[in-house]
Amino acid sequence: MAPMAASSMNASVEVAAGVPASILEHFDVPGGLIYGIGNDGRQDDGLGWALIDVLEREGVCRHAQLFRNYQLQLEDADLIRGMRRVLFVDATKSPEVADCALHAVEPKLDFSFSSHEISAASILATCRLCFGHAPEVWMLAIRGYEWELRMGLTPASARNLRAARQHLDCAAQAGLAYPDPLLTTGDRHERAGP
Amino acid sequence: MGRKLVIDPVTRIEGHGKVVVRLDDDGKVTDARLHVVEFRGFEKFVQGHPYWEAPMLLQRICGICFVSHHLCGAKVLDDMVGAGVRSGLQITPTAEKVRRLGHYAQMLQSHATAYFYLIVPEMVFGIDAPPEQRNILGLAEAEPELVRRVVMLRKWGQEGIKAVFGRRMHGISSVPGGVNKALEAADRDRLLNGGPDMLSVDQVIDYAQDGLRVFHEFHAKHRDEVDRFGDVPALNMSLVDDAGNVDYYHGRLRVVDGHKRVVTEFDYHDYLDHFSEAVEEWSYMKFPYLKALGREAGSVRVGPLGRLNVTKTLPTPLAQQELERFHDYTKGRANNMTLHTNWARAIEILHAAEVVRDLLQDPEAMQTDRLLVTPAKEAWTGEGVGVVEAPRGTLLHHYRADAQGNTTFANLIVATTQNNEVMNRTVRSVADEYLSGKTEITEGMMNAVEVGIRAYDPCLSCATHALGQMPLQVTLYGPDGSLVDERQR
Repeated sequence: MAPMAASSMNASVEVAAGVPASILEHFDVPGGLIYGIGNDGRQDDGLGWALIDVLEREGVCRHAQLFRNYQLQLEDADLIRGMRRVLFVDATKSPEVADCALHAVEPKLDFSFSSHEISAASILATCRLCFGHAPEVWMLAIRGYEWELRMGLTPASARNLRAARQHLDCAAQAGLAYPDPLLTTGDRHERAGP
Repeated sequence: MGRKLVIDPVTRIEGHGKVVVRLDDDGKVTDARLHVVEFRGFEKFVQGHPYWEAPMLLQRICGICFVSHHLCGAKVLDDMVGAGVRSGLQITPTAEKVRRLGHYAQMLQSHATAYFYLIVPEMVFGIDAPPEQRNILGLAEAEPELVRRVVMLRKWGQEGIKAVFGRRMHGISSVPGGVNKALEAADRDRLLNGGPDMLSVDQVIDYAQDGLRVFHEFHAKHRDEVDRFGDVPALNMSLVDDAGNVDYYHGRLRVVDGHKRVVTEFDYHDYLDHFSEAVEEWSYMKFPYLKALGREAGSVRVGPLGRLNVTKTLPTPLAQQELERFHDYTKGRANNMTLHTNWARAIEILHAAEVVRDLLQDPEAMQTDRLLVTPAKEAWTGEGVGVVEAPRGTLLHHYRADAQGNTTFANLIVATTQNNEVMNRTVRSVADEYLSGKTEITEGMMNAVEVGIRAYDPCLSCATHALGQMPLQVTLYGPDGSLVDERQR
């Protein structure tokens, strides 16, 4: 196991010896899941699905399962329990995100649950509590601007989608850095508790 | 000085609403109302669209009970093309069984969400437990095995929906005159026998019985509180079959009183002859009532409690056994205890699981050559009404289309709207019990009001046919109108 260099914004991380060339390759593994969250009938809320569309069109994912859903649900704890690595892709309204941002998801019961909303952190924590395993989970947030009842992305969010796609081609060593130094190494990354 | 208390939004319900409670100088509740402040839009939105698009568009009102909207709309389309109950040319038994299979799978999935995710945490931790504990994630921390079972139970329901409608959400299989696919053997076998990542139907039935045990344990510990909480009168309404027992997919509408005497029973196509809707300036949600009785006496309760008050039996053995216990508890009278809605809901989860099992074993649900009837063009009526018993209660769709087949009119009366009056009665009753005369209003007291609303599992976005975002809100006002306290989450 060779340590992977940390990016500028995050702390140290260690990965397996077979270092992937790109971020996408890191997730495009057996047991990989790329999960687009959103609704393409509500303009930029469709960003998560749009990235899945792009990956499908390009045919670049040979191993990872590609998946779309309107929102995260508690059952996703069951969906990810058998996975090795999960990349959630969702639109964000946050002005702190210029075009896209990739961050590791830490398991945390943040009590965000409603019939229409639950956080990725809570899904991960529930997975660990109920099924005894938590995969490595990341969130790719893509900046959106309009959420009206209409098909199609706004031009600005379409640009951000292209930026997000390009980001997935960045070198994994630069793009994937965990904030959690307790992260262990190996094919399966078990993560520390909240 | 008197006070006004606002709970805004009311949490763990679907949609945006708020509760306003007014107190007098002595701190006694003088009024309490559930306000629904969402915009009503979908009925207009579908106008001008081809008639066959309506069930596809209208199911998108909701991410929870979309199957009910889809099936209700499909029944309307059957009427419109001349394949409805009044035309003499009805859909095939296969089509009806496939629709019922999807309907009961959704009943199980939706009730499991409401019951286990939104209500059971309060049974386990208490109404006044800290908010960060009394939710499904708090339950996951305290009872991970229970939550694991619940996750798998709901997943099984979703897989049943997917087997019928092709997708877990907003799928399509019902078309005018029937369905476009039968149940496939692989799906049937997976749902019946389970697998490494899937429960078997027998496990589902076991887990559904767990749900009943949770209610009974809670009830045994807090019997007086549960029975007294929101004990409010209302008529009870449900679709019934020819024997007068609940039929979740089709039948006539029956209304019974507190003694379970039949007040009225009619063909749902004639609903406009029987129901009228009152409007209040403080809420977008209307107040339906039976015209013959007027608003106060003619408001009905629908949903699990209403249905089990109407029906005499359930056609599956385990649910029937529990129904007898439920009926015995009130000694032949209708059950008006709001929190017993959760008992009724748990019975319906079990019943739905048993019905799905029976339908999965029915070879007629797999007959691929008997999916559709195709009426002659002359059979076109251009108008239809559909009613199903959705998880939350009686759901009605009514459309009209012009000669070109474009929708000119749509009317939806959803369960939450039917329950509007009885929900408001519950809010008043609970506010009076928990807030009246108290010198200090705690978060737990405020939550009691929300618990009363959540028992109905209201879907406010369905009720107002909302477009847009849907954040629910309790507010306390003094007699001079000054804001005293407010909760918003």
